[in-house]
Order: sequence, then structure tokens, then C-alpha cells
Amino acid sequence: MTDTTTAELTVRPTASTIQQWWVLTVRMLTPTLRNGELATQIVGSIVFTIGYYIPLKQIMGAAQGMSSYAQYLTPLIVLQAIWFAAVSAAFRSATDSVQGINRRFKAMPIASLTPLASRMSASMYRCCVALTVSVACGHVIGFRFHDGVVHAVGFCVLVLLIGAALAFIGDLIGVATQNPEATAPLMLVPQVTLGLASTGLQPVERFPEWIQPFVRNQPLSQFVYALQALAGDSTSAAPEVRWSVIGPALAWVAGMILISVGLHMRVSKRRP
Amino acid sequence: MSVASQDKKTIAVGRAAGTQVETRTHPAPGRHRLPRPRENSPRRLIPHTWALTARILRRWSRDPATVVQSLVFPAGFLVALDIVLGDGVEQVTGHSALYGSVPLVATVGATSGAIIGAVGLMRERSDGLLSRLWVLPIHRASGVMARLTADAIRIVVITTVVLGVGLMLGFRFKQGIGEAALWLFIPALFGVAFSSAVITLALYSSNTIVPQATEIICAMLFFFSTGFVPLDQFPSWIQPIVEHQPISYVIETMKGLSLGGPVLAPLVATLLCSAGIAALCAVPMAIGYRRASKRG
Repeated sequence: MTDTTTAELTVRPTASTIQQWWVLTVRMLTPTLRNGELATQIVGSIVFTIGYYIPLKQIMGAAQGMSSYAQYLTPLIVLQAIWFAAVSAAFRSATDSVQGINRRFKAMPIASLTPLASRMSASMYRCCVALTVSVACGHVIGFRFHDGVVHAVGFCVLVLLIGAALAFIGDLIGVATQNPEATAPLMLVPQVTLGLASTGLQPVERFPEWIQPFVRNQPLSQFVYALQALAGDSTSAAPEVRWSVIGPALAWVAGMILISVGLHMRVSKRRP
Repeated sequence: MSVASQDKKTIAVGRAAGTQVETRTHPAPGRHRLPRPRENSPRRLIPHTWALTARILRRWSRDPATVVQSLVFPAGFLVALDIVLGDGVEQVTGHSALYGSVPLVATVGATSGAIIGAVGLMRERSDGLLSRLWVLPIHRASGVMARLTADAIRIVVITTVVLGVGLMLGFRFKQGIGEAALWLFIPALFGVAFSSAVITLALYSSNTIVPQATEIICAMLFFFSTGFVPLDQFPSWIQPIVEHQPISYVIETMKGLSLGGPVLAPLVATLLCSAGIAALCAVPMAIGYRRASKRG
């Protein structure tokens, strides 16, 4: 009798990777409802929308050619919301690293990429929330999709792609620094400086001449161009949907993902 | 540590002076017979507060997150703000946007830094450091005073850094030396009152999300202030709110002290706002700090 019990105990249960991924993803998702992460995400999007739109409508609105400043500004609001989601991703991955749960996962019968996959799934959930809330905020101030369903879907897909790239960079920063408190300032400095110095707030011609090349070519501006094109406008002032407009944005996303995957592989090989 | 050594020093001084010990009729040996200064004597408050302040400042200066958020972030933010809005605001107002944006960035650095301090305080509460300090012969008020003093010093440092960046971009003091010196301390005035509010909030909450949520209030105060965009550029329905919120008063005071213009009215309003917040928070903060120190 004792022999059979021992035999039963030593048999390992079959571990399904899908199920493990789901368990680990739910582990990331449920706290967001309780610890205020979701609430911060929603309130943050609203604050950024009214904080950019109301003060800047008059001083910047006249300078751009689109039908309304809301139509011009919303891509930047969406991008800022996505970036906030990436900051949360960085915070969570740093917390996991420093508390040793990743090390613990390595000692368990889990495929080595499953924890990362679950963190990325949680990040995509945050991105979807950010996209929904910020587009809803944009809708309130007057943003509309003018170019039909295909381009609207393209808008959402591009936003989620950018969100995935940013979340992956956030995850990398979290794993690399292992310092939850350092992640927010590290990611907010580029968020605010690139966000302000992009074509999302005002056209490139309104910037001082010496910085115009940077403003025009930095990734956030290229994302803004592509998103403005996909959203369209009732006037013809929005950029056209062409490869020369969408291509650079896709190239930036691909480059960001490639570099951060390479760095991530190096960083996660380190012994914890 | 340095508090303890301070105490030893004082006791040694007392022993050297030795008047009381000598005059006793039955001088009993033992440390408990030595004259011991009361821990709550006002004379102890300043050295004790300073020892604890130095501790907090040393911690901050060694934490990369705090350094980035306090020094690098405001500097980069000011440069970006000037590049984006500088020309537009100058066209509308006729003077450089820096006279509004330098005070704005200094004040934002002051208010958002208060959150770092509050989160640190909550960590020390859960680590048991506060209760450890409570059982030492330290002046009871020095814990709170040290937090506020450290915040004041931090804000003056941030203001100086932001001023340095501003000077490089073309900010100049057009009034006197005295006005310039006063200018440097205006953000600290409001910032200390603001951090007393955040500290009070932190002392009564168990989750760091609560003080971090004040970041949203900071963001709103930032966007709807006269330093971001001139007052007449806001929609008319929101102008009264923008004009009479505390950060706008701070910015108007500092604009008056650097560029010129009315100083007294916004300065009085700034003082009233700060004093009001501080008065509202003083008693709850003292009670909350005592409660936090007696936990566990």
C-alpha cells in the first residue's frame, strides 16, 4: 500500500504550457483590478486628454491644417496612454525580478519563455485598455475615424504593435534594473521629452529650425504621422495612407523589437 | 547613529561641568544619576532634526531613481517645454516663455518629489525604522521636522538646477539681487506645504497607490497653470480656476520677482495657500506620525 502511494506521488502531473501561461497571466491581471493600476490607467488617459486639449486648443489649434485640433492631437494622446501601459509593465517585471519569483519559476517545470509570454499578455491587455480609453476620450473631444473600417482597424493594429514594442522595452528595463522605483522616472523622461518634442502637438514647421530634423524623424513623430494618416480627416490635410508614411513607423517598431529582444536574451541569461 | 553620539557628547559635557554630581550629598555612582537633558527640550530640537535631515538627504542622493526624478527630469522637461511652446508663447505675450516655464518646472519638481518622500516614509514605517527611532531619546517633533526640512532643501536644489538650465536658455533676472534671492525660495515655500499634505495622506493610507495618485493632482495643477500657457489662451470658462489655483500664484510671484510686475498680491496669495494647507495638515500629521511610530 505504501509502495503504491509513493509511486503515485512521484509521477509528475502533465503540465500543459497553455494552462501554465493562463495561470501566470491571470496572476498578472487580477491585481490590476484591486491595486488601482486599472483606475490609474483610465484616469491618466483622461487627465492627459483634457490637459493637452483645453490649454493648447487655442494657441496651437490654428497652426495646423486639420478640421479640428482634436483630430490632430488624438494620436499623441493614444501614444501617451500606450506608453503609460509600458511603464506599468516595467514596474511589474522589475517587481517580479527583485522579489525572486522569476528565479523560482526557473526552478519549476515551466517552459523558459512562459513567464515572459504571460507578462507580455498582461501588457497587451493594458494596451487594449489604454487604446479603448484614449480613443473614447478622443471621441468626446471630437476625434473621428474618417477613412472607413479598414483604416480604423489598421489604426488599432498599429497602436497595439507600438504598444507591444514599448511593453517589451519596459519589460527589459524592469528585468535589467530590478528596481521597481527606478522604472517610472527612467521611462517618464523619454515619454515627456519625446512627447513634447514631437509633431503630435504642433506641425514641425512651428519648431525652432535647428531641432526640426530631430522632431521630424524621431520615432514618436513617425508614429503620429502614420496614425494621423490612418485616422484620416474630413479635409485633405491629414497625411495620405502610403508606404512612405506607414513604412517608417513599422520600421521603427521592427527595429525596437529586434534590439530589445536581443538585449532581453542577454539580460535574462544572467544568473539572478 | 550620529544622534546617539550627540547624546554621548552632551552627557560628557554635563559630566565635565559636573556641578550637579558634585553637589549631591550622597553622590551615588552609576549613569542614571547623571544629569540628563530632557529629550523634548527645545534646545535638542535643532541638532536632532539636523541629524535626521542629513540622513534623509544622504539616502536620496544615493538613490538613482530620486536623482533622476529630481534633477535630470526637470532639466530635460524645461528644455522640451521651451522648444515646443517657447516661440508660440513669446508671440502671444511679447516676453520669453521662460519667465513662466522655469517657475512651473521648479514647482512641478517640488510637488512630484514630495511623492518620493512619502513613499519612502511608508517604507520606513513598514520596515520598523520609525518605531525604532521612537524609542531612542530623540526629540519627538524631530522626525516630522526632518522630513519637511529635507524637502525644503531638496526643492531649493531643484530650483537652482532648473534656474541653471533656464539661464542657459536665456532666462535673466531683471529686478535686483534681493528679488532673485527671494525667487529661489518661493517654490520651497509652497512645496513644503504640499509635501506636508502628501505626508499626511501617506501616514493614513496603507497602500502606496494613494500618495502616488496625487501625481494626477500635480499633473492637473501643471496643465491648468499660467506657466504652461498664458491665461488668456485658456477657454474663458476655465480662466477663473486657472488664475486662482496655487501653482499659478507661485508662478505669478516668481514672474514678478524676475521679469517685473505685481509681486505683493500673488505673494500674499501664495503665503495664504501654503499656510492654509500647512495649518490643515499640522495636527493630523503629528497624530499620524505618532501613530505610525508606535506600530508593530
